[in-house]
Parts: sequence; structure tokens; C-alpha cells
Amino acid sequence: MSTASHALPSPRLVRTAIVLGVLLIWEILPRAGIVPSLFLPPMTTTLQMLVVEAPIYARHMLVTLQEVGIAMIFACGGGVLCGLAIGGAASARQIMLPMFSGLFAVPLVVLYPLFTAWFGIGSESKIIFASVYGFLPTLLGTAAGVQTVDRQFLIVARSLGATRMQKLWHVYLPATLPTVLAAFRLGGALAIVGVVVAEMLTSTAGIGFLISKYRTLLDSPRVYAAVVLVLVLAIAFDGLVQVLERRLGIAQQQSGRSVGKRSVASAVA
Amino acid sequence: MGLKAVVSSPSPAFSTDESGAVEVTNVGHVYETASGTTEALTDISFRVETGRFISIVGPSGCGKSSLLMMIAGLVQPTRGTITAGGRPLVQPDPTRIGVVFQDASLYPWLTARSNVEFPLSLRHVDHKIRRERAEEALDLVGLAGFADKHPHELSGGMKQRVALARGLVQDPPILLMDEPFAALDEQTRLTMGDEVLRIWERTRKTIIFVTHGLSEAIHLSDEVLVLTSRPGKLVDRVSVDLPRPRSFEVMGGRRFEELRERIWQRIRS
Amino acid sequence: MNTATVRNTGARSIPAPVARAALVAALIAVWQVAPTVGLLDPRLLPPPSVVGPMIVQLFGEAGFRGHLATTLLETLVAFLVSVPVGFIMAILIGENKYASDIFKPLVFFVFSIPKSIFLPLFIFAFGISFHQKVAFGVFSTLFIVMMLSFAAIESVRRDHLVVARSYGATRMQTVLRVYLPGMTPVLLEAIRVSMIFNFTGILLAEMYASREGLGNVIEQWGQGFQLDRLMATIVVIAAIAIVFNETIRALESRCEHWRE
Repeated sequence: MSTASHALPSPRLVRTAIVLGVLLIWEILPRAGIVPSLFLPPMTTTLQMLVVEAPIYARHMLVTLQEVGIAMIFACGGGVLCGLAIGGAASARQIMLPMFSGLFAVPLVVLYPLFTAWFGIGSESKIIFASVYGFLPTLLGTAAGVQTVDRQFLIVARSLGATRMQKLWHVYLPATLPTVLAAFRLGGALAIVGVVVAEMLTSTAGIGFLISKYRTLLDSPRVYAAVVLVLVLAIAFDGLVQVLERRLGIAQQQSGRSVGKRSVASAVA
Repeated sequence: MGLKAVVSSPSPAFSTDESGAVEVTNVGHVYETASGTTEALTDISFRVETGRFISIVGPSGCGKSSLLMMIAGLVQPTRGTITAGGRPLVQPDPTRIGVVFQDASLYPWLTARSNVEFPLSLRHVDHKIRRERAEEALDLVGLAGFADKHPHELSGGMKQRVALARGLVQDPPILLMDEPFAALDEQTRLTMGDEVLRIWERTRKTIIFVTHGLSEAIHLSDEVLVLTSRPGKLVDRVSVDLPRPRSFEVMGGRRFEELRERIWQRIRS
Repeated sequence: MNTATVRNTGARSIPAPVARAALVAALIAVWQVAPTVGLLDPRLLPPPSVVGPMIVQLFGEAGFRGHLATTLLETLVAFLVSVPVGFIMAILIGENKYASDIFKPLVFFVFSIPKSIFLPLFIFAFGISFHQKVAFGVFSTLFIVMMLSFAAIESVRRDHLVVARSYGATRMQTVLRVYLPGMTPVLLEAIRVSMIFNFTGILLAEMYASREGLGNVIEQWGQGFQLDRLMATIVVIAAIAIVFNETIRALESRCEHWRE
């Protein structure tokens, strides 16, 4: 098998071909009339919408970005802090972690109607929903990272007479930085999804609102254009965190399980 | 049947019986890596008579384990031929050869008994016979009372005993052991050595034992084959003329030290 | 994250399960007391004394039982499609190194992008229907199934395969006797986590556009300010999710030692 692969084109080349093929199909199928353009408007028509309707998309994107930004502060900040606190204290860890990971099974989308009833259909309910949405996985990820902090570090720190605060700052934080960043990556991605989903369900502004509005108008090119925008946002955020990880010299573990574990929730809903 | 038949009629250590003979002729092995081809073994020839106990020693990376895997039929040599019981091996033949691996490699989801029965169950041997033979084999290795335990409930030494029983259960004339006690602590290793000798004296299998422990090799074997590394080459065959039956108390005697010194010199050169 | 590893460090500490039960009881007590004493508006946060009987009442209504059945059926069908399909696709890709090199990064990429924004496309394709819910459920679940199946395949120990080969196992025997049991712990985890994605996908699809299902009723009750009904349904949904999750987790911990 390994000797045969010399004759085969490189995986990267094949992958590029597949992606290009998908884009080409996206263009050709509707143009050739094989697929009705209501289901699938041609790629060029979709991208054209982004140019023609740029002001509208930009205005709503700004709303979404604002909500996402605030939600990220709550979700990631709160998640990391609580994760550090719970993961760092043995008793809290033993009592709370099983509860939180049990809670992780609950589809949190169902809370959104409650939040709209409580906080109205403006930005508040989106921000709160997205914060809750991203909070739990961030917390679990951080707590898991703290748990793995080498006991030896802690014993050394204690023997040097470090206070609780010093231990947190000088031992836990650097040792857990990779996990914290991974948790941030996950929590941030979820905050984006949370905001857009909330906007899609009930709202008056934002990219998610545009998706739903154009869907009811059966204006599929504009729906697809908005979907593309959200994808770009999600991918850009992910890329940004990856750059940050690389800057801080954190090697990525790209193999199987760790990837699966780390990003388990990144595509929820 | 099976083990009992052999147990009750011990064959002499030297015989013209081909059933347990192993013959390795001009064996070489080359494997491909990213940086080119590596010669792992070169021009190895030796013969082991039925019922003999031989060890293969050498520095790590000399290909002694690969050689054993070739004798087991798990890897095909690039050059040369290997016969077991007078016939060549194109694939593993468990009726001719039993193998005991480095870290026991028991199936954690099976009980000790089921692990021992595993080779028989692959050949659809009748339930009752399977059970009888497994019990005999477990009895032989001194684990009669542990048949229903799972591997995680057994100590390292006990796990290796189960693996040994699994290797013996089909009563093959040849038993290959690949650094079977490498992961055990010193004391357990010594008792396991005596245990293997006791079983060998009762069953008179041909045993080929790969180890990097020189003392262990001398303690157990009739003859020690010495390999050097890169490429793996057979540089010496040292006959161990210590009286039998032996126990680990042979270690430290004058003759023992002489043999040890000779093998050590050969490995270093 | 594993209850089995919980150890009590000192005699003075309360056993973790007791502390946990106490914590839950305290939360329920706050939920009960706060609206009752007027700290919070009971119309916005109906206390357990209202939500509890409401759950009983809902189960007495044929309409609610119908919605529940719809949701469970959609979830079940989507699950029964996505898990085997994802697993088989993962095996086809994972078994061949070349295919792995090509497809694993693609699968990982598709896995990591948000799925919910594609919901309108499913409505364009299938209309608002049972099929659309199931198709979206499958779409939200398929990639996590594949990711975790890759992990499951990798979790099979090489030496276990070598043992099987040295004892003359056929290909079929190797699959059934070594691969399958070897993968079981990770596979159970895959089933558990996939169900979270699956259930979420179905509920979201129902909330977004539907005429029936639990997702649809909570959306309606939320807009109609029937918070007692809404809360009761949320509790029912959470209970279903937690019971399924904990059941699989119990099975997982039973074969935890298989991982060694």
C-alpha cells in the first residue's frame, strides 16, 4: 500500500480537487437546470449578492459581531475562571464536575424561548443565550486541563511557600494555557453559533435574522450569501485562535482522539 | 489428549524428531522507510533441534524480535527460508507454533479462561474440549484458581502466565517467546524464569526465547544465539553447559559468570 | 469527569454523591422559594410546585403525548441512520491510509463548521416535513459520529491484532472478536455524544419551522408567555437527555477497564 501511494497523487492535491469539484458542482448543477435554483442558487449568483447587498449585510453583521463579542467575554471569561476554580479545588471538582458533564447532555437550545420571554427579543436574549451556550464546554475543558497539571509543579510551588493566588498565577495559568486556549477556541465558536441560531429563531436584526427573513421570502441566493458570511466568520475566528496558539508556541495535537475530545461540542446545533 | 499426552511421555532433549525443529537459512530482512531502505537482518542461519531451549540476545534494534516474528510466520523475510517442523511457513500456523508476546496482550474483555480458549475458539473446537484444555493449560502455569478473573484483576506475572497458557493450549511443538518478562519486576522475572523451565521440563517444547537479559538467557537456555546490530548478524552461538535442572540460583556461579562475560564481549565487539 | 475516580481525601469531607444531592436540593429550594416570597415574578419563573404538577398534566394531554412521540420518532430515525452510516464511512476511510490522508482533514473541517445555519437549505430541499427534520438531524450528527469512530478505530491495540493473526484468525474473526470488542468503550462514548448532537439538531429543526414536536411547542409557549408549560417541557426534555446520557455512561464505566 505504501509503495503504491508513490504513484498516486498527493492527498493534498486530491483534497484541493475535491473542494474545487464541489464549488464547480455548486455552479453547474443549477445552471444546467439539474437542480432547481431555489434549492441551490449558482455560486456566482450567491457571491454576487454579497456585493450587491453589501451595506445590508454589513449592517447586520455589525449587530451580530457586537453580540458575539460580549457573549464571548461572558462565555470564555466565565468558563475559564469557573473551570480554573472548580478544577483547582479537589472537593469542588469531585462534586461539581460530574454534574456539569451530565448537564452537557441537555440540548441547551430549548432554553432560548425562556430567555426571549425573560429578556425580550433584542440583543440581550441573544447575548445571554450564547454565553450560556459557550460557558459549559469552556468550563469543562478548562477544568480538565487544570486536573492534568503536574502534581510535581504544585509540590515545588508549595515548598517555596507560594500563596494560593501565586499558585494560580504562576503554576496553574501557564501549565493550563494550552487547554485554556483550546477551551477559548471552543467557547468562542459556540458563542458565534449561539448568537446566529438565536437570531435565526426570534429576532429583528443580525445575520441570523437575515437568513430567516430571506428564507420566508424564498430568496435563496440571499440566504446562501448570509450562510457563507457566517461560515467565513466561524473559520476566521478559528484561524485567529490557531495563529495565537502558534505564536504562544503551543504545538497542536492533531491526532484522532484529542481532536475529537477538544472540539466535541464545537458543532453543536 | 493435548498437553497431558506430552506431559506423560517426555521426549529426550536430543532427538531426530522433526516436529519441533526450526531451521533458519540465509535469512535477510530489508524494510523501506522514508529515508530509504534499511537492512535489519543479514544472512542469518541456524537450526534448533526438537525440544531444545535456545535464547536470542542482542542489543536493542538488532532485529531479534523481527526474527522471531518471521519464525512465527507473522512477517515474511526478504531473503532466505524458514521451516518449522520440517515445512516452510507462509502464514502463522498455531498448531505448529505458539507465541507469547512482550506485554501479555491479553484481551481485557475476556476472562483468563476465555483468553486461553481464544486460539481454540478461532478453530471452532467443541466447547467442552475447549474448556478442558484451557483448564489443563491454566493448571500447568499454576493459575487454576484464577480462570474467571479478567486481566485487569491479575498481576503482571499472572498475566504473562495466562499468555503462556494461551501459547500452550493447542499443544504446539514449538513455543516462541518475545521478551516475555521485560515488563516485570526483577523478582517476578526470576520466578517466571523458573516457572518456564519447569513447564519446559514437563512438556519438552522447542522454545525460542528472545531477551535482552544475558543472565536470563543463560539461566534458561541450552544455547544462546548472539546478534549484533545494524545490520542484525548472528555472531556467536554459546552452548550453556550448566547442569539441569536449574533454578535461578545458577546465577553468580563461576561458570555462569564466564559465559556471561563471553556473551558480553561478543555483543560489544 | 468520572464518578468512579472520586476519592474522599479526608474523614471530615462529605461523600461527593451526598454533597451533589445536597447541591441539587439547594438549587431546587431556591427555585421554589425565590418566586414564592416575591423575590422573582412567579409568572416569569414558575416554582417547582407549579412545574411539577404541570408535567403530570401535560402527560395527561393527548396533544402533548403526540408532540413527544413525534420528537422521539424523528430523533430515533435520524440516530439509526447517522450512527451506522457514519461508522461505516469512518471505517472505509480509516482502514486505508491514503483515504485517511485525503478525507480526514475534510471531515474534520466539515465537523468544525456550524451546522445550524444550513437549516434553511433543508427546508428548501425537503419542505417543512418529517423528512426535513430527520435529514437535518442526520446532517448534524454524521460528522461527530465519523470523528469519534476514527478515534474508536485508533483505540484498537495493534498487539491485540497481532495476537489474533498469530493464532490464525480469519478477517471476519478479527473484525468480530478483536476490532468490535476493542472499540466498544470508545464506540459507546461515540453513541452517547452523537445523541447529544442528534437530539439538539432535531429540537432546533422543530423550533425553527414546524407544526409539531416538542421543539415547536416550547417555541409557541415561549411566545405565548405560558411559562409554566414551557418550563415543564424543558424539564421533560432535560430529563430525557440526562437519562439517556447517564445510561450509556454507566455502560461505559462497566467496560472502562477494557481500555487498560
